[in-house]
Amino acid sequence: MPPVVGFVARRLGRAVLTLWFATTITFLLLRLLPGNPALAVATPNMTPQTQAILLRQYGLDEPLLVQYGKYLWQLVQGNLGVSITQSVPVTDVLLERLPWTLLLTGSSLLVTVAVGIPLGVLAATRPSGLLDRLVQVGGVVGQSVFVPSVAIALLFLFGLQLRWLPIGGAYSPGVYGGQWYLDVAAHLVLPCVSLVLVQLGSYVLTLRATLIDSLGEDYCVLATAKGLPHRKVVWKHALRNALLPTTTLVGLQLGFLVGGAVLTETVFAYPGIGRGIYEAVTQLDYPVLQGAFVLLAATVVLANVVTDLAYGLLDPRVRTQ
Amino acid sequence: MTAAGIALDQVVADQPTAASATWTAFRRNPLGLVSLAVLAALVVVAVAAPLIADYPGGYGPAVLTPPSGQHWFGTDNLGRDIFAEVVWGTRISMLVAALSSALAIVIGVLVAVLGAYFPKVDTMVGTVVDLALSLPVLPLMILVAALAGPSLATVVVVIALFSWPEVARVVRSQALAVVRLPYIDAARLTGGSWLWIIRRHLVPAVAPVIVVSVVLTASRAVLSAAGLAFLGLGDPNSWSWGRILYEAQQSGAMSSAWWTTLFPSLAMLALVVSATLISIAYNDARNPRTREN
Amino acid sequence: MRLRLPLVAVTALAAVVATAACSPSAPSDSAAQGGDKNATLTIATTTDVVNFNPLLGNSRTDGWITNLMYPRLLTIDANGAKQSYLAADRGYSDPTTGFYELRGDMKWSDGTAVSAADVAYTINTIMTKKPAGNVVYGQLANVESASAPTATRVELKLKRPDATVVDEVGFWMNVVPKHVFEKAPDAGTFANNSDWVSAGPFRLTTVAKGQSYTLERVTPYPMAPAGTPNVAKVVYRVYPDVNTEILALRNGDVDLIANALPPAQVKTLQSTPGVKVQEVPGLGYAHMTYNMTRKPLDNLKVRQALAHAVDYEAIRSVVLQGQAVTTGSSPIPPVLKDFVKPDLKEYAFDPELARKLVTESGVGTLRPLTMIYSLQDAVTSQWAQLVKDNAAQAGITIELQGMDRNTYLAKTAAGEYDIYAGNFAIMDDPATNMALTFLPDGAINYTKVDDPALSALITKATATTDKAAQKDLIWQAATLVHDNVYDNVMYMQNLYVAHSDKWDGFVVKPSELLSVVDPQSLANARKVG
Repeated sequence: MPPVVGFVARRLGRAVLTLWFATTITFLLLRLLPGNPALAVATPNMTPQTQAILLRQYGLDEPLLVQYGKYLWQLVQGNLGVSITQSVPVTDVLLERLPWTLLLTGSSLLVTVAVGIPLGVLAATRPSGLLDRLVQVGGVVGQSVFVPSVAIALLFLFGLQLRWLPIGGAYSPGVYGGQWYLDVAAHLVLPCVSLVLVQLGSYVLTLRATLIDSLGEDYCVLATAKGLPHRKVVWKHALRNALLPTTTLVGLQLGFLVGGAVLTETVFAYPGIGRGIYEAVTQLDYPVLQGAFVLLAATVVLANVVTDLAYGLLDPRVRTQ
Repeated sequence: MTAAGIALDQVVADQPTAASATWTAFRRNPLGLVSLAVLAALVVVAVAAPLIADYPGGYGPAVLTPPSGQHWFGTDNLGRDIFAEVVWGTRISMLVAALSSALAIVIGVLVAVLGAYFPKVDTMVGTVVDLALSLPVLPLMILVAALAGPSLATVVVVIALFSWPEVARVVRSQALAVVRLPYIDAARLTGGSWLWIIRRHLVPAVAPVIVVSVVLTASRAVLSAAGLAFLGLGDPNSWSWGRILYEAQQSGAMSSAWWTTLFPSLAMLALVVSATLISIAYNDARNPRTREN
Repeated sequence: MRLRLPLVAVTALAAVVATAACSPSAPSDSAAQGGDKNATLTIATTTDVVNFNPLLGNSRTDGWITNLMYPRLLTIDANGAKQSYLAADRGYSDPTTGFYELRGDMKWSDGTAVSAADVAYTINTIMTKKPAGNVVYGQLANVESASAPTATRVELKLKRPDATVVDEVGFWMNVVPKHVFEKAPDAGTFANNSDWVSAGPFRLTTVAKGQSYTLERVTPYPMAPAGTPNVAKVVYRVYPDVNTEILALRNGDVDLIANALPPAQVKTLQSTPGVKVQEVPGLGYAHMTYNMTRKPLDNLKVRQALAHAVDYEAIRSVVLQGQAVTTGSSPIPPVLKDFVKPDLKEYAFDPELARKLVTESGVGTLRPLTMIYSLQDAVTSQWAQLVKDNAAQAGITIELQGMDRNTYLAKTAAGEYDIYAGNFAIMDDPATNMALTFLPDGAINYTKVDDPALSALITKATATTDKAAQKDLIWQAATLVHDNVYDNVMYMQNLYVAHSDKWDGFVVKPSELLSVVDPQSLANARKVG
């Protein structure tokens, strides 16, 4: 089936392009901005000679293009280099954090969609009604809050006052077996809630807008005219079409989500990639930074490719586009 | 970004004569009007900051006191008046927002309009914009701000640098639609230079989208700037809302002195919410379909 | 069509499963439940562990954890006096030979004895590999080499007489196991991140990066009461945000906060039920240095003007909430009672005098001066604001440049600042510290001072073993520093740490580096509630 092959090839080509772009941008930013990683371990007793030796060790004394070529070649082989401050492979550093990032963003995405769809539908079916206004204002307020303030308030209320949930971390050390899963879930609740709070607004508002458009389309008008119950028109027909752009958008936003959780991870002491990037920045650990951005890009690309391919194979309209 | 983004895409390019109709519709939206009033009040506070409160400097004897008649918003860990900090912070926060959004708009509109007008460039523009949109923005902002060193200029440039793709995306989709309209073809046929056509016809046609884009980019810049400041990457020489929060965090006051975080957070919320609601109300007012409701 | 929503769900679930796959398995030899002896002490810290190699200087948490694993030869008591630890005896057999005599009962966790060869190896490795950030390296300037003539005796061959090196190296250096570290390709970059061979009251068993570090009790441990630490486990947990950390203590999720509390929180926590606040004496000072290689800071009047344009009392009472004492603008912290020169008075805050001094200096209008400080140092970041505001009153413009710790260290090393603001955690020996701070090639000579008269005094002091003679030299040096504003020491801070009232038995040691989380303290800590 040539059209399918072409479609798959196009999407994969795009994925590779995105990866290359993210890698190159990070590479250039790190090289062209002031500061160099030898400074990361700079100490009062370091002479210019020692610094030069360190730069050579990290391969940072070579011309930019050579460094770039070597880096890409390493990358193709799946080698992200060695962390400067931790002296362990970057892959190890990142893979320790990746699961927590995926768990946090994945679960918050899931909750956002699960709560967002009914809210969006309710708002769209009675535009300008009281509920719609509430959803609109709530959605706008939600995406306008400053996460750390809300996060501390949540910790204060549910952690300290009510004592329902633990304060900070991804799990308590010394808990094993089945209990461990419950413990992880308990630690997940508050960071997840604060991420949902921020995402939910934009998700609901987007869904509402597209849904209102869909309901105005001929096929929905026709379906209603045919005498189909309104609920069926909304849930079966309009929602189907509204979900496609909305969900694609969520895929696009994944980059924001995965990396954007830095503040949430800081306040909740959650050991994710975002916090890892912040720490690598303060330590000027170039290999880890570079690796982290490649990994973030890869996560986003992977999610997009999977969704795209599935849609494409399921929906002939997308495939022939 | 999304809600407003979609709302933006729907903005239709209608004629200047529709302005009065839009305003009439806008006035009927209580949310829009209230938001407009809030935004106006914040602008007044920003401009008249010296008349409202003394510049928060130095220190005071009463450290971390709750709100009172003397200190409406309480005091921070150095005994400084938080009300004064919020008032003066309005100035810098709005300035950062305005400057970074202006810069982002200039870049974004330029890229979008050129792309839309020259189909040859457009494929590349579209790809670059899409690629840029898939970058993890906040971590990159942190990276650049940390390496370039914290200052007002850094914050403005960093935010603009990572906000323009969103502007470009929105403006481009609108511009692409406009370029296909007959009157642009007519302008081409009359032999106008591309620069003239873009300036006189294309940009005015997408102006409403740009207006909304300015408001939204600016309000989001407030949150980004606060996020950077919270991580210690803001400018330590001037008061912004983010800096008030950063100092509350550093001094451990967030866990016990609610007033140190509540008021700057509320100020930020007021600005971002009112700006967003204004753009939504403006869109609704411009859109004949929703205007009927 | 119905598949769309599930797709998102599947992605998320895949993530959940990925995480679940790494569920930790319970240790097989789990200790019996109940009883004081099986308690776990959970300690909160704000920084993650960067590296487990004690030869490298990294985050504070690295130090706390590696201290529990790699013994020091000496320790200090609450008054800052050196005490025996791994070394039972120390001294000089002749002016250019120092020695340590080790106690013979310490063993590495793999059963090998902790021997003099390990100590000699550690010293020689530091000298040859110059591990990044190692503080001992600077103190070894007068050391030729170290050797181990017997299993318990270490000898330091000195290039010239040095009265302080034995105590300084003995206190600052963590001894590493030779038989493990010499197998690493490069001990200076060795990650040391698994299968640890250690010799402390606790040994590291489980690491969850960014989250927690679990250490288990070592028995027998000769220096613990009754030869065994009271608690079964010590767990360090990472809370990057100090607010969350405080909430976790109040909530009971952690038992002790290891990092010093922000000054403004001390009073609040003192009155919080269930929380005890413990004072930890400071052993260092906070200071500003004026970079003398940059004009116009080479001008004494300008430095004096700057020194008189700071309200030191306000900084101590507001920023530090009275938890700090003046040193009389002298580089000798008051805790070192034997060396303090009482007649040195603090520079008075007098903006008018400062203006006058600027005029007298003849440099014309003062250009704006940059001041660098580390953003990770919350207290300095706060008083930097006050310094800027105070200086403005005297018509002096100071531009604040708060930066990340590494950039700050780099800028400091490169001398790219007008004013440096920061602090030293431990200034335990006046002669050594003055050598490091004021000799032209001193590792922390941030003023970039090169005063032959001062250098002569300090060099003489370091080589003098006679206490009274040394004190006299140090007094003269301190006066020179004070009068020439070669350093502007602002205060010595007393630190506070907080712990749950269900715990006691902590042994307090000066400075945040040791505080109540030193091996001796944690071996003695016990659960009472």
